[in-house]
Amino acid sequence: MEAPPVTMMPVTGGTINMMEYLLQGSVLDHSLESLIHRLRGLCDNMEPETFLDHEMVFLLKGQQASPFVLRARRSMDRGGAPWHLRYLGQPEMGDKNRHALVRNCVDIATSENLTDFLMEMGFRMDHEFVAKGHLFRKGIMKIMVYKIFRILVPGNTDSTEALSLSYLVELSVVAPAGQDMVSDDMRNFAEQLKPLVHLEKIDPKRLM
Amino acid sequence: VQREEKQLEASLDALLSQVADLKNSLGSFIYKLENEYDRLTWPSVLDSFALLSGQLNTLNKVLKHEKTPLFRNQVIIPLVLSPDRDEDLMRQTEGRVPVFSHEVVPDHLRTKPDPEVEEQEKQLTTDAARIGADAAQKQIQSLNKMCSNLLEKISKEERESESGGLRPNKQTFNPADTNALVAAVAFGKGLSNWRPSGSSGPGQPGQPGAGPILAGASGLQQVQMAGAPSQQQPLLSGVQMAQAGQTGKMPSGIKTNIKSASMHPYQR
Repeated sequence: MEAPPVTMMPVTGGTINMMEYLLQGSVLDHSLESLIHRLRGLCDNMEPETFLDHEMVFLLKGQQASPFVLRARRSMDRGGAPWHLRYLGQPEMGDKNRHALVRNCVDIATSENLTDFLMEMGFRMDHEFVAKGHLFRKGIMKIMVYKIFRILVPGNTDSTEALSLSYLVELSVVAPAGQDMVSDDMRNFAEQLKPLVHLEKIDPKRLM
Repeated sequence: VQREEKQLEASLDALLSQVADLKNSLGSFIYKLENEYDRLTWPSVLDSFALLSGQLNTLNKVLKHEKTPLFRNQVIIPLVLSPDRDEDLMRQTEGRVPVFSHEVVPDHLRTKPDPEVEEQEKQLTTDAARIGADAAQKQIQSLNKMCSNLLEKISKEERESESGGLRPNKQTFNPADTNALVAAVAFGKGLSNWRPSGSSGPGQPGQPGAGPILAGASGLQQVQMAGAPSQQQPLLSGVQMAQAGQTGKMPSGIKTNIKSASMHPYQR
């Protein structure tokens, strides 16, 4: 059920295929403040935005070997905000000149009965976590600095435990397919965060 | 002779411009010291010194240039001394020397150093001659060695501080943590996707039951409860294999289960 690489498909109509360009890194807890200060200086001027989200990852096992993965995310500190459903495709590898990880991305806002709907469709929850952190923007780039908390009792988002002593730092851009200069802008921005954080393209398959 | 004259002229011009530059930078440095002394920072003073030293260097280079004739061979003789104001001279010296007279000439055309300076120089040369060639050579060598040692130390410090080696405890990120976090977000490694034995729950992953996270020097490590794996958890064993491989604490019971498990970690 995996879609073929998006850039090979003709645009025949319907929605534009959006790609997510991603660079990831991490920062230790004690250096978080310096990173936040630097980001506040580098990014667009706005009130520092924090978020507390609960993300659940659902799998649909089909006849094929690899299951279909959907991510459902809800905000725990903003009441009334819609749920966010996201599909992320396989990262397009092979182009060494591209500085960021690129994958197909579909984002949908949904109502609150998303989990029931997915269960009815046959999806089963594979794992979940709580993400708590800060959000910055620079133009179309989005920078998230957040800590991942493991949920000890399934469904109970109060009993959580931090996964590590670091914050995950993600620099992402969602743009239409084919705009590779985006990755150059991202790389230039990532340069400005060195040596505090090393943002790089990390292939998740390498970490399996 | 024509060529020599031209050379002389050209080198004189070069010398003049160099000296003018030097004078300007000296002037601005003095101004800075006199007027901005309360705001002056050491790097700014260093900058001025560096500028002066650079200019002196180029001046030396100009003098040593092969096209520069030996000025030593030239003699300057005053032809006419008059106590009257000389406008030309004023213009050329930017108003500093108004009169080419008997008082001005000895100072400006002097080639011998001051008597005190001459005394000191004579003293130094007699001292140097007294030491003897060998001892002098040894002293020169030891001075060179000390200078090179110092230079090496300074460059080493600079290199080390750039690479952050001087402050190992100030590392701001941990690559192992990065990998662990990326794996957690990408496919749930380390999150609630495996369960210990005995837990049930149709379709819902159970709690991990792992102990507290030990953050060792290498970053993230997980202490696993080595419970006897339950019968139908290929998911559990598959993932535990990956995690246990990371820590090297694989209990023997799990090995047997892996053989019976299906290949794919995600099947229920």
